Amino acid sequence: MDKYQEAFDGIIERDERVEPRDWMPDEYRKHLIRQVSQHAHSEVIGMQPEGNWLLRAPSLRSKQVLLAKIQDEAGHGLYLYSVAETLGISRAEMLQQLHDGKAKYSSIFNYPALTWADIGAIGWLVDGAAIVNQVSLQRTSYGPYSRGMIRICKEESFHQRQGFEIMLHMANGTPEQREMAQDALNRFWWPSIMMFGPHDSDSPNTGNAMKWKIKRESNDELRQKFIDKTVPQAEFLGLTIPDPDLKWNEEKGSYDYGEIDWEEFWAVVKGNGPCNKERLDHHIKAHKDNAWVREAAEAYAAKTEGELV
Amino acid sequence: MKITIDNDLAKFIIRLADTEMILGQRLCEMCSNGPFLEEDIALSNSALDLIGRAEELYKIVAEIENKGISPDDYVYRRNEREYFCLKLVEQPNTDFAWTIARSYLHDVYANEVFTQLQNSKNENLAALSKKVLIEIMYNLDRTRDWMVRLGQGTEESNSRLQEAVNHMFRYIPEMWNWDDIDQKYLADTDKVKANWETEVNGILKASNIEKPSDDPFFMGDYRDGIHSEYLGHILTDLQYLPRAYPDAKW
Repeated sequence: MDKYQEAFDGIIERDERVEPRDWMPDEYRKHLIRQVSQHAHSEVIGMQPEGNWLLRAPSLRSKQVLLAKIQDEAGHGLYLYSVAETLGISRAEMLQQLHDGKAKYSSIFNYPALTWADIGAIGWLVDGAAIVNQVSLQRTSYGPYSRGMIRICKEESFHQRQGFEIMLHMANGTPEQREMAQDALNRFWWPSIMMFGPHDSDSPNTGNAMKWKIKRESNDELRQKFIDKTVPQAEFLGLTIPDPDLKWNEEKGSYDYGEIDWEEFWAVVKGNGPCNKERLDHHIKAHKDNAWVREAAEAYAAKTEGELV
Repeated sequence: MKITIDNDLAKFIIRLADTEMILGQRLCEMCSNGPFLEEDIALSNSALDLIGRAEELYKIVAEIENKGISPDDYVYRRNEREYFCLKLVEQPNTDFAWTIARSYLHDVYANEVFTQLQNSKNENLAALSKKVLIEIMYNLDRTRDWMVRLGQGTEESNSRLQEAVNHMFRYIPEMWNWDDIDQKYLADTDKVKANWETEVNGILKASNIEKPSDDPFFMGDYRDGIHSEYLGHILTDLQYLPRAYPDAKW
Protein backbone atom coordinates (compact mmCIF):
# COMPACT_ATOMS: atom_id res chain seq x y z
CA MET A 1 0.00 0.00 0.00
CA ASP A 2 1.47 3.38 -0.90
CA LYS A 3 2.04 6.08 1.68
CA TYR A 4 -0.75 8.31 0.34
CA GLN A 5 -3.35 5.61 0.68
CA GLU A 6 -1.97 4.84 4.13
CA ALA A 7 -2.28 8.47 5.22
CA PHE A 8 -5.86 8.63 3.91
CA ASP A 9 -6.83 5.40 5.64
CA GLY A 10 -5.33 6.77 8.85
CA ILE A 11 -7.48 9.90 8.69
CA ILE A 12 -10.61 7.80 8.21
CA GLU A 13 -9.66 5.36 10.94
CA ARG A 14 -8.87 8.07 13.50
CA ASP A 15 -12.21 9.74 12.64
CA GLU A 16 -10.47 12.90 11.50
CA ARG A 17 -11.57 14.99 8.51
CA VAL A 18 -10.23 14.78 4.97
CA GLU A 19 -9.43 18.30 3.72
CA PRO A 20 -9.37 19.56 0.09
CA ARG A 21 -5.56 19.48 -0.15
CA ASP A 22 -5.24 15.97 1.26
CA TRP A 23 -4.66 13.10 -1.10
CA MET A 24 -7.81 11.02 -1.54
CA PRO A 25 -8.69 8.01 -3.68
CA ASP A 26 -10.33 8.89 -7.00
CA GLU A 27 -13.39 6.85 -6.08
CA TYR A 28 -13.79 8.78 -2.81
CA ARG A 29 -13.61 12.07 -4.71
CA LYS A 30 -16.04 10.86 -7.36
CA HIS A 31 -18.49 9.58 -4.78
CA LEU A 32 -18.43 12.92 -2.93
CA ILE A 33 -18.84 15.01 -6.07
CA ARG A 34 -21.87 12.93 -7.00
CA GLN A 35 -23.40 13.14 -3.52
CA VAL A 36 -22.64 16.81 -2.80
CA SER A 37 -23.72 18.09 -6.21
CA GLN A 38 -26.92 16.07 -5.93
CA HIS A 39 -27.46 17.60 -2.50
CA ALA A 40 -26.86 21.12 -3.89
CA HIS A 41 -29.22 20.57 -6.83
CA SER A 42 -31.87 19.30 -4.40
CA GLU A 43 -31.72 22.54 -2.42
CA VAL A 44 -32.06 24.58 -5.60
CA ILE A 45 -34.79 22.53 -7.30
CA GLY A 46 -36.59 22.44 -3.94
CA MET A 47 -37.12 26.20 -4.30
CA GLN A 48 -39.68 25.52 -7.04
CA PRO A 49 -42.52 23.67 -5.27
CA GLU A 50 -42.37 26.17 -2.41
CA GLY A 51 -41.95 29.15 -4.72
CA ASN A 52 -45.15 27.93 -6.35
CA TRP A 53 -47.02 29.10 -3.21
CA LEU A 54 -45.00 32.20 -2.40
CA LEU A 55 -47.33 34.54 -4.26
CA ARG A 56 -50.36 32.92 -2.61
CA ALA A 57 -49.14 32.63 0.99
CA PRO A 58 -52.22 33.51 3.06
CA SER A 59 -50.77 36.03 5.55
CA LEU A 60 -47.96 38.56 5.75
CA ARG A 61 -46.24 36.42 8.35
CA SER A 62 -46.47 33.16 6.40
CA LYS A 63 -45.28 34.89 3.23
CA GLN A 64 -42.22 36.37 4.93
CA VAL A 65 -41.35 33.12 6.69
CA LEU A 66 -41.68 31.14 3.46
CA LEU A 67 -39.61 33.67 1.57
CA ALA A 68 -36.88 33.54 4.22
CA LYS A 69 -36.98 29.75 4.12
CA ILE A 70 -36.60 29.53 0.35
CA GLN A 71 -33.80 32.05 0.56
CA ASP A 72 -32.04 29.83 3.11
CA GLU A 73 -32.36 26.92 0.74
CA ALA A 74 -30.79 28.88 -2.08
CA GLY A 75 -28.00 29.72 0.39
CA HIS A 76 -27.59 26.02 1.23
CA GLY A 77 -27.29 25.37 -2.49
CA LEU A 78 -24.48 27.92 -2.59
CA TYR A 79 -22.56 26.36 0.33
CA LEU A 80 -22.89 22.94 -1.23
CA TYR A 81 -21.81 24.03 -4.70
CA SER A 82 -18.77 25.55 -3.00
CA VAL A 83 -18.08 22.30 -1.16
CA ALA A 84 -18.21 20.42 -4.46
CA GLU A 85 -15.90 23.01 -6.05
CA THR A 86 -13.22 22.16 -3.47
CA LEU A 87 -13.25 18.68 -5.01
CA GLY A 88 -12.34 20.02 -8.45
CA ILE A 89 -15.60 20.55 -10.33
CA SER A 90 -17.00 23.95 -11.36
CA ARG A 91 -20.54 25.16 -10.76
CA ALA A 92 -21.03 25.51 -14.52
CA GLU A 93 -20.11 21.83 -15.00
CA MET A 94 -22.52 20.80 -12.25
CA LEU A 95 -25.35 22.81 -13.81
CA GLN A 96 -24.60 21.26 -17.18
CA GLN A 97 -24.83 17.79 -15.64
CA LEU A 98 -28.15 18.73 -14.07
CA HIS A 99 -29.51 20.06 -17.35
CA ASP A 100 -28.27 16.98 -19.25
CA GLY A 101 -30.06 14.74 -16.77
CA LYS A 102 -26.75 13.19 -15.64
CA ALA A 103 -26.93 14.60 -12.12
CA LYS A 104 -29.98 13.82 -10.01
CA TYR A 105 -31.67 15.70 -7.20
CA SER A 106 -33.96 14.46 -4.47
CA SER A 107 -37.03 12.85 -6.05
CA ILE A 108 -39.33 14.37 -3.46
CA PHE A 109 -39.27 17.66 -5.38
CA ASN A 110 -40.82 15.93 -8.37
CA TYR A 111 -44.12 15.80 -6.52
CA PRO A 112 -46.47 18.76 -6.99
CA ALA A 113 -47.37 21.20 -4.19
CA LEU A 114 -51.12 21.32 -4.83
CA THR A 115 -52.46 23.15 -1.78
CA TRP A 116 -51.15 25.45 0.94
CA ALA A 117 -51.15 22.46 3.30
CA ASP A 118 -48.52 20.90 1.04
CA ILE A 119 -46.21 23.75 2.06
CA GLY A 120 -46.79 22.64 5.64
CA ALA A 121 -46.20 18.99 4.76
CA ILE A 122 -43.02 19.82 2.85
CA GLY A 123 -41.57 21.74 5.79
CA TRP A 124 -42.66 19.18 8.35
CA LEU A 125 -41.93 15.92 6.52
CA VAL A 126 -39.45 16.73 3.77
CA ASP A 127 -37.29 19.05 5.85
CA GLY A 128 -37.83 16.69 8.78
CA ALA A 129 -36.41 13.81 6.74
CA ALA A 130 -33.62 16.00 5.42
CA ILE A 131 -32.62 16.95 8.97
CA VAL A 132 -32.31 13.31 10.04
CA ASN A 133 -30.01 12.72 7.09
CA GLN A 134 -28.07 15.94 7.55
CA VAL A 135 -27.56 15.56 11.29
CA SER A 136 -25.89 12.27 10.48
CA LEU A 137 -23.81 13.95 7.76
CA GLN A 138 -22.41 16.46 10.26
CA ARG A 139 -19.96 13.65 11.09
CA THR A 140 -19.14 12.89 7.45
CA SER A 141 -15.43 12.39 6.75
CA TYR A 142 -14.96 15.23 4.23
CA GLY A 143 -14.20 18.40 6.21
CA PRO A 144 -15.92 21.08 4.07
CA TYR A 145 -19.06 18.94 3.71
CA SER A 146 -19.19 18.25 7.44
CA ARG A 147 -18.80 21.95 8.32
CA GLY A 148 -21.42 22.90 5.74
CA MET A 149 -23.84 20.43 7.30
CA ILE A 150 -23.34 21.84 10.78
CA ARG A 151 -24.34 25.26 9.52
CA ILE A 152 -27.21 23.98 7.42
CA CYS A 153 -28.70 21.91 10.25
CA LYS A 154 -29.19 25.02 12.38
CA GLU A 155 -31.38 26.55 9.68
CA GLU A 156 -33.18 23.33 8.78
CA SER A 157 -34.65 22.95 12.25
CA PHE A 158 -36.28 26.36 11.78
CA HIS A 159 -37.70 25.11 8.47
CA GLN A 160 -39.22 22.07 10.03
CA ARG A 161 -40.90 24.25 12.67
CA GLN A 162 -42.24 26.49 9.89
CA GLY A 163 -43.85 23.46 8.26
CA PHE A 164 -45.17 22.07 11.53
CA GLU A 165 -46.67 25.46 12.42
CA ILE A 166 -48.64 25.52 9.14
CA MET A 167 -49.87 21.96 9.79
CA LEU A 168 -50.84 22.89 13.34
CA HIS A 169 -52.91 25.86 12.16
CA MET A 170 -54.59 23.76 9.51
CA ALA A 171 -55.19 20.68 11.63
CA ASN A 172 -56.87 22.91 14.23
CA GLY A 173 -58.63 25.10 11.68
CA THR A 174 -61.90 24.80 9.75
CA PRO A 175 -63.07 21.37 8.49
CA GLU A 176 -61.79 22.29 5.03
CA GLN A 177 -58.35 23.17 6.38
CA ARG A 178 -58.22 19.93 8.33
CA GLU A 179 -59.12 17.99 5.24
CA MET A 180 -56.37 19.75 3.30
CA ALA A 181 -53.86 18.90 6.04
CA GLN A 182 -54.80 15.20 6.04
CA ASP A 183 -54.71 15.12 2.24
CA ALA A 184 -51.21 16.65 2.21
CA LEU A 185 -50.01 14.04 4.71
CA ASN A 186 -51.58 11.28 2.60
CA ARG A 187 -49.72 12.41 -0.49
CA PHE A 188 -46.36 13.30 1.10
CA TRP A 189 -45.89 10.48 3.63
CA TRP A 190 -44.67 7.73 1.32
CA PRO A 191 -42.49 9.94 -0.90
CA SER A 192 -40.93 11.34 2.31
CA ILE A 193 -39.91 7.96 3.66
CA MET A 194 -38.63 7.06 0.19
CA MET A 195 -36.23 10.03 0.53
CA PHE A 196 -33.82 7.79 2.48
CA GLY A 197 -33.33 5.63 -0.60
CA PRO A 198 -33.55 1.88 -1.19
CA HIS A 199 -33.37 -0.69 1.61
CA ASP A 200 -29.80 -1.38 2.74
CA SER A 201 -29.92 -4.74 1.00
CA ASP A 202 -30.57 -2.98 -2.36
CA SER A 203 -28.36 0.09 -2.01
CA PRO A 204 -25.39 -0.14 -4.39
CA ASN A 205 -23.49 2.92 -3.08
CA THR A 206 -23.77 2.31 0.63
CA GLY A 207 -20.82 -0.09 1.03
CA ASN A 208 -17.99 2.28 0.09
CA ALA A 209 -19.73 5.31 1.57
CA MET A 210 -19.88 3.60 4.96
CA LYS A 211 -16.29 2.33 4.69
CA TRP A 212 -15.05 5.86 3.96
CA LYS A 213 -17.36 7.30 6.64
CA ILE A 214 -19.00 9.62 4.11
CA LYS A 215 -22.22 8.04 5.29
CA ARG A 216 -22.40 7.21 8.99
CA GLU A 217 -25.76 5.50 9.19
CA SER A 218 -27.53 3.32 6.67
CA ASN A 219 -30.66 4.24 4.70
CA ASP A 220 -32.85 1.98 6.82
CA GLU A 221 -31.42 3.24 10.11
CA LEU A 222 -32.08 6.84 9.10
CA ARG A 223 -35.57 6.02 7.80
CA GLN A 224 -36.42 4.32 11.11
CA LYS A 225 -35.23 7.37 13.07
CA PHE A 226 -37.43 9.63 10.97
CA ILE A 227 -40.51 7.46 11.35
CA ASP A 228 -40.05 7.12 15.11
CA LYS A 229 -39.71 10.87 15.48
CA THR A 230 -42.60 11.77 13.18
CA VAL A 231 -45.37 9.40 14.29
CA PRO A 232 -45.90 11.15 17.66
CA GLN A 233 -45.96 14.52 15.85
CA ALA A 234 -48.74 13.27 13.56
CA GLU A 235 -50.62 12.05 16.64
CA PHE A 236 -50.20 15.46 18.26
CA LEU A 237 -51.72 17.03 15.13
CA GLY A 238 -54.56 14.50 15.21
CA LEU A 239 -53.74 13.36 11.69
CA THR A 240 -53.56 9.78 10.45
CA ILE A 241 -50.44 8.43 8.75
CA PRO A 242 -51.59 6.57 5.62
CA ASP A 243 -49.99 3.23 6.50
CA PRO A 244 -52.30 0.55 7.94
CA ASP A 245 -49.26 -1.56 8.91
CA LEU A 246 -47.70 1.17 11.03
CA LYS A 247 -47.55 0.03 14.65
CA TRP A 248 -45.31 0.26 17.68
CA ASN A 249 -43.05 -2.72 18.16
CA GLU A 250 -42.38 -3.00 21.87
CA GLU A 251 -39.59 -5.51 21.42
CA LYS A 252 -37.40 -3.45 19.11
CA GLY A 253 -38.52 -0.13 20.63
CA SER A 254 -39.53 1.41 17.32
CA TYR A 255 -42.30 1.42 14.74
CA ASP A 256 -42.92 -1.27 12.16
CA TYR A 257 -44.09 0.08 8.85
CA GLY A 258 -45.64 -1.19 5.64
CA GLU A 259 -44.00 -2.07 2.35
CA ILE A 260 -42.70 0.87 0.33
CA ASP A 261 -43.75 1.00 -3.33
CA TRP A 262 -40.32 0.71 -4.93
CA GLU A 263 -41.80 0.66 -8.38
CA GLU A 264 -42.95 4.24 -7.83
CA PHE A 265 -39.60 5.18 -6.30
CA TRP A 266 -37.59 3.96 -9.29
CA ALA A 267 -40.03 5.43 -11.81
CA VAL A 268 -39.63 8.89 -10.25
CA VAL A 269 -35.83 8.51 -10.00
CA LYS A 270 -35.75 7.63 -13.70
CA GLY A 271 -37.66 10.77 -14.62
CA ASN A 272 -41.23 9.52 -14.74
CA GLY A 273 -42.64 11.33 -11.70
CA PRO A 274 -45.37 13.97 -11.79
CA CYS A 275 -43.10 17.03 -12.15
CA ASN A 276 -39.65 15.80 -13.25
CA LYS A 277 -39.92 17.47 -16.63
CA GLU A 278 -41.42 20.71 -15.27
CA ARG A 279 -38.71 21.13 -12.61
CA LEU A 280 -35.88 20.65 -15.05
CA ASP A 281 -37.51 22.72 -17.80
CA HIS A 282 -38.03 25.56 -15.30
CA HIS A 283 -34.39 25.55 -14.25
CA ILE A 284 -33.12 25.35 -17.83
CA LYS A 285 -35.45 28.15 -18.95
CA ALA A 286 -34.41 30.53 -16.14
CA HIS A 287 -30.76 29.77 -16.92
CA LYS A 288 -31.11 30.24 -20.70
CA ASP A 289 -33.42 33.25 -20.63
CA ASN A 290 -30.93 35.06 -18.42
CA ALA A 291 -27.77 34.16 -20.33
CA TRP A 292 -27.67 37.75 -21.62
CA VAL A 293 -27.55 39.08 -18.02
CA ARG A 294 -24.54 36.95 -17.15
CA GLU A 295 -22.86 37.98 -20.42
CA ALA A 296 -23.53 41.65 -19.67
CA ALA A 297 -22.12 41.32 -16.15
CA GLU A 298 -18.99 39.62 -17.50
CA ALA A 299 -18.55 42.18 -20.29
CA TYR A 300 -18.93 45.02 -17.81
CA ALA A 301 -16.47 43.42 -15.38
CA ALA A 302 -13.96 42.99 -18.20
CA LYS A 303 -14.35 46.65 -19.26
CA THR A 304 -13.99 48.02 -15.76
CA GLU A 305 -11.61 45.38 -14.42
CA GLY A 306 -13.65 45.10 -11.26
CA GLU A 307 -13.90 48.80 -10.46
CA LEU A 308 -16.91 49.71 -8.36
CA VAL A 309 -19.62 51.75 -10.05
CA MET B 1 -65.74 43.66 4.63
CA LYS B 2 -65.55 47.14 3.14
CA ILE B 3 -62.36 48.86 4.26
CA THR B 4 -62.33 52.63 4.09
CA ILE B 5 -59.59 54.92 5.29
CA ASP B 6 -60.64 58.20 6.80
CA ASN B 7 -57.63 59.83 8.38
CA ASP B 8 -55.43 61.89 6.03
CA LEU B 9 -52.15 60.62 7.48
CA ALA B 10 -53.41 57.03 7.17
CA LYS B 11 -54.35 57.73 3.54
CA PHE B 12 -50.85 59.06 2.94
CA ILE B 13 -49.13 56.10 4.61
CA ILE B 14 -51.21 53.44 2.90
CA ARG B 15 -50.01 54.73 -0.48
CA LEU B 16 -46.48 53.95 0.62
CA ALA B 17 -47.46 50.65 2.21
CA ASP B 18 -49.30 49.45 -0.92
CA THR B 19 -46.43 50.51 -3.16
CA GLU B 20 -43.90 48.55 -1.09
CA MET B 21 -46.24 45.55 -0.80
CA ILE B 22 -46.96 45.24 -4.51
CA LEU B 23 -43.31 45.65 -5.47
CA GLY B 24 -42.47 42.97 -2.88
CA GLN B 25 -45.05 40.66 -4.45
CA ARG B 26 -43.60 41.32 -7.91
CA LEU B 27 -40.10 40.47 -6.67
CA CYS B 28 -41.43 37.24 -5.13
CA GLU B 29 -42.19 36.15 -8.70
CA MET B 30 -38.44 36.16 -9.36
CA CYS B 31 -37.80 33.40 -6.82
CA SER B 32 -36.08 30.54 -8.71
CA ASN B 33 -36.07 32.71 -11.86
CA GLY B 34 -32.96 34.83 -11.24
CA PRO B 35 -29.99 34.90 -13.65
CA PHE B 36 -27.80 33.04 -11.11
CA LEU B 37 -28.15 31.80 -7.57
CA GLU B 38 -26.56 34.78 -5.79
CA GLU B 39 -28.88 37.18 -7.60
CA ASP B 40 -31.89 35.00 -6.83
CA ILE B 41 -31.03 35.34 -3.15
CA ALA B 42 -30.55 39.09 -3.49
CA LEU B 43 -33.97 39.52 -5.13
CA SER B 44 -35.64 37.51 -2.35
CA ASN B 45 -33.83 39.68 0.16
CA SER B 46 -35.21 42.84 -1.45
CA ALA B 47 -38.69 41.29 -1.49
CA LEU B 48 -38.38 40.54 2.23
CA ASP B 49 -37.32 44.12 2.95
CA LEU B 50 -40.27 45.50 1.00
CA ILE B 51 -42.92 43.23 2.51
CA GLY B 52 -41.53 43.76 6.01
CA ARG B 53 -41.56 47.52 5.45
CA ALA B 54 -45.12 47.37 4.11
CA GLU B 55 -46.25 45.43 7.19
CA GLU B 56 -44.76 48.04 9.54
CA LEU B 57 -46.48 50.80 7.56
CA TYR B 58 -49.83 48.97 7.70
CA LYS B 59 -49.41 48.68 11.46
CA ILE B 60 -49.14 52.47 11.70
CA VAL B 61 -52.21 52.85 9.47
CA ALA B 62 -54.11 50.39 11.67
CA GLU B 63 -53.11 52.28 14.79
CA ILE B 64 -54.14 55.67 13.39
CA GLU B 65 -57.43 54.37 12.02
CA ASN B 66 -58.13 52.35 15.17
CA LYS B 67 -61.01 50.34 13.71
CA GLY B 68 -59.82 46.85 14.57
CA ILE B 69 -58.52 46.25 11.05
CA SER B 70 -55.23 44.35 10.91
CA PRO B 71 -52.33 44.67 8.46
CA ASP B 72 -53.41 41.32 6.97
CA ASP B 73 -56.93 42.71 6.41
CA TYR B 74 -55.49 45.69 4.54
CA VAL B 75 -53.46 43.42 2.28
CA TYR B 76 -55.88 40.56 1.76
CA ARG B 77 -59.34 42.14 1.90
CA ARG B 78 -59.21 45.21 -0.32
CA ASN B 79 -60.04 45.17 -4.02
CA GLU B 80 -58.30 46.92 -6.93
CA ARG B 81 -60.02 50.28 -6.45
CA GLU B 82 -59.20 50.25 -2.73
CA TYR B 83 -55.46 49.84 -3.37
CA PHE B 84 -53.21 52.89 -3.66
CA CYS B 85 -49.87 51.74 -5.08
CA LEU B 86 -47.91 53.48 -7.82
CA LYS B 87 -48.56 51.97 -11.25
CA LEU B 88 -44.79 51.71 -11.67
CA VAL B 89 -44.52 48.84 -9.18
CA GLU B 90 -47.35 46.87 -10.84
CA GLN B 91 -45.36 46.49 -14.05
CA PRO B 92 -44.30 42.92 -14.90
CA ASN B 93 -40.95 41.12 -14.85
CA THR B 94 -40.85 40.89 -18.64
CA ASP B 95 -37.11 40.32 -18.41
CA PHE B 96 -34.39 41.05 -15.86
CA ALA B 97 -33.94 44.59 -17.24
CA TRP B 98 -37.60 45.32 -16.40
CA THR B 99 -37.11 43.98 -12.90
CA ILE B 100 -34.05 46.17 -12.37
CA ALA B 101 -35.38 49.37 -14.01
CA ARG B 102 -38.63 49.16 -12.03
CA SER B 103 -36.81 48.63 -8.73
CA TYR B 104 -34.24 51.30 -9.42
CA LEU B 105 -36.79 54.01 -10.29
CA HIS B 106 -38.77 53.01 -7.21
CA ASP B 107 -35.73 52.90 -4.93
CA VAL B 108 -34.71 56.47 -5.84
CA TYR B 109 -38.25 57.62 -5.06
CA ALA B 110 -38.42 55.68 -1.79
CA ASN B 111 -35.05 57.07 -0.76
CA GLU B 112 -36.26 60.67 -1.19
CA VAL B 113 -39.64 60.12 0.45
CA PHE B 114 -38.40 58.28 3.52
CA THR B 115 -35.54 60.75 3.94
CA GLN B 116 -38.12 63.50 4.40
CA LEU B 117 -40.34 61.33 6.59
CA GLN B 118 -37.55 60.93 9.14
CA ASN B 119 -38.83 64.26 10.42
CA SER B 120 -42.50 63.30 10.43
CA LYS B 121 -44.53 64.53 13.38
CA ASN B 122 -45.84 60.99 13.75
CA GLU B 123 -43.15 59.42 15.93
CA ASN B 124 -43.73 55.89 14.70
CA LEU B 125 -43.41 56.96 11.10
CA ALA B 126 -40.28 59.00 11.83
CA ALA B 127 -38.63 56.09 13.66
CA LEU B 128 -39.59 53.59 10.98
CA SER B 129 -38.28 55.89 8.24
CA LYS B 130 -34.89 56.13 9.93
CA LYS B 131 -34.71 52.37 10.17
CA VAL B 132 -35.84 51.55 6.63
CA LEU B 133 -33.57 54.12 5.00
CA ILE B 134 -30.59 51.87 5.71
CA GLU B 135 -32.24 49.07 3.70
CA ILE B 136 -33.41 51.42 0.98
CA MET B 137 -29.95 52.85 0.46
CA TYR B 138 -28.51 49.35 0.26
CA ASN B 139 -31.13 48.32 -2.29
CA LEU B 140 -30.57 51.50 -4.25
CA ASP B 141 -26.83 50.82 -4.40
CA ARG B 142 -27.59 47.40 -5.80
CA THR B 143 -30.13 48.46 -8.43
CA ARG B 144 -27.99 51.43 -9.45
CA ASP B 145 -25.03 49.09 -10.01
CA TRP B 146 -27.18 46.83 -12.17
CA MET B 147 -28.44 49.81 -14.22
CA VAL B 148 -24.88 50.73 -15.11
CA ARG B 149 -23.81 47.12 -15.60
CA LEU B 150 -26.68 46.37 -17.98
CA GLY B 151 -26.44 49.73 -19.72
CA GLN B 152 -22.71 49.40 -20.37
CA GLY B 153 -22.51 45.61 -20.59
CA THR B 154 -23.37 44.40 -24.09
CA GLU B 155 -25.37 45.76 -27.00
CA GLU B 156 -28.17 43.38 -26.11
CA SER B 157 -28.29 44.33 -22.43
CA ASN B 158 -28.24 48.00 -23.36
CA SER B 159 -31.17 47.65 -25.75
CA ARG B 160 -33.16 45.55 -23.27
CA LEU B 161 -32.56 48.14 -20.57
CA GLN B 162 -33.56 50.96 -22.93
CA GLU B 163 -36.83 49.18 -23.65
CA ALA B 164 -37.48 48.62 -19.95
CA VAL B 165 -36.75 52.26 -19.10
CA ASN B 166 -39.01 53.44 -21.94
CA HIS B 167 -41.82 51.35 -20.52
CA MET B 168 -41.34 52.33 -16.89
CA PHE B 169 -41.10 56.04 -17.65
CA ARG B 170 -44.76 56.02 -18.71
CA TYR B 171 -45.61 55.56 -15.04
CA ILE B 172 -43.36 58.28 -13.65
CA PRO B 173 -45.46 61.42 -14.26
CA GLU B 174 -48.18 60.30 -11.82
CA MET B 175 -45.61 60.36 -9.03
CA TRP B 176 -45.48 64.12 -9.34
CA ASN B 177 -49.25 64.84 -9.30
CA TRP B 178 -48.94 65.77 -5.65
CA ASP B 179 -52.24 66.33 -3.90
CA ASP B 180 -53.05 68.13 -0.65
CA ILE B 181 -52.36 65.03 1.38
CA ASP B 182 -48.86 64.61 -0.09
CA GLN B 183 -48.18 68.30 0.51
CA LYS B 184 -49.34 68.00 4.09
CA TYR B 185 -46.99 65.17 5.09
CA LEU B 186 -43.95 65.62 2.84
CA ALA B 187 -41.81 68.59 3.85
CA ASP B 188 -40.86 69.50 0.28
CA THR B 189 -42.45 67.69 -2.66
CA ASP B 190 -40.52 69.77 -5.21
CA LYS B 191 -37.33 68.53 -3.67
CA VAL B 192 -38.43 64.88 -3.97
CA LYS B 193 -38.90 65.38 -7.69
CA ALA B 194 -35.77 67.48 -8.22
CA ASN B 195 -33.52 65.01 -6.39
CA TRP B 196 -35.12 62.06 -8.16
CA GLU B 197 -34.45 63.68 -11.54
CA THR B 198 -30.86 64.56 -10.73
CA GLU B 199 -30.07 61.02 -9.62
CA VAL B 200 -31.94 59.28 -12.44
CA ASN B 201 -30.63 61.57 -15.21
CA GLY B 202 -27.08 60.94 -14.01
CA ILE B 203 -27.46 57.17 -13.97
CA LEU B 204 -29.23 57.03 -17.34
CA LYS B 205 -26.33 58.96 -18.79
CA ALA B 206 -23.77 56.70 -17.12
CA SER B 207 -25.70 53.70 -18.47
CA ASN B 208 -25.76 55.02 -22.06
CA ILE B 209 -29.56 55.04 -21.90
CA GLU B 210 -31.57 57.77 -23.59
CA LYS B 211 -34.02 59.51 -21.36
CA PRO B 212 -37.55 58.90 -22.67
CA SER B 213 -39.71 61.92 -23.42
CA ASP B 214 -41.72 63.35 -20.56
CA ASP B 215 -44.88 64.05 -22.51
CA PRO B 216 -47.87 64.23 -20.20
CA PHE B 217 -49.97 61.10 -19.73
CA PHE B 218 -53.65 60.79 -19.04
CA MET B 219 -54.12 57.46 -17.37
CA GLY B 220 -55.78 58.32 -14.09
CA ASP B 221 -54.08 58.68 -10.74
CA TYR B 222 -53.13 55.97 -8.26
CA ARG B 223 -54.24 58.28 -5.45
CA ASP B 224 -57.80 57.73 -6.73
CA GLY B 225 -57.33 53.95 -6.91
CA ILE B 226 -56.77 53.95 -10.68
CA HIS B 227 -54.35 51.24 -11.76
CA SER B 228 -52.94 49.26 -14.63
CA GLU B 229 -54.78 46.03 -15.50
CA TYR B 230 -51.92 44.11 -13.91
CA LEU B 231 -53.06 44.90 -10.39
CA GLY B 232 -56.17 42.72 -10.62
CA HIS B 233 -54.03 39.71 -11.51
CA ILE B 234 -51.51 40.47 -8.78
CA LEU B 235 -54.30 40.61 -6.19
CA THR B 236 -55.87 37.41 -7.56
CA ASP B 237 -52.74 35.48 -6.61
CA LEU B 238 -52.02 37.42 -3.46
CA GLN B 239 -55.52 37.16 -1.98
CA TYR B 240 -56.61 33.75 -3.23
CA LEU B 241 -56.62 31.81 0.04
CA PRO B 242 -58.20 34.37 2.40
CA ARG B 243 -60.84 35.11 -0.26
CA ALA B 244 -61.60 31.42 -0.92
CA TYR B 245 -61.71 30.50 2.78
CA PRO B 246 -62.90 33.65 4.57
CA ASP B 247 -63.34 31.91 7.93
CA ALA B 248 -59.96 30.19 7.99
CA LYS B 249 -57.06 31.31 10.13
CA TRP B 250 -53.60 30.59 8.78
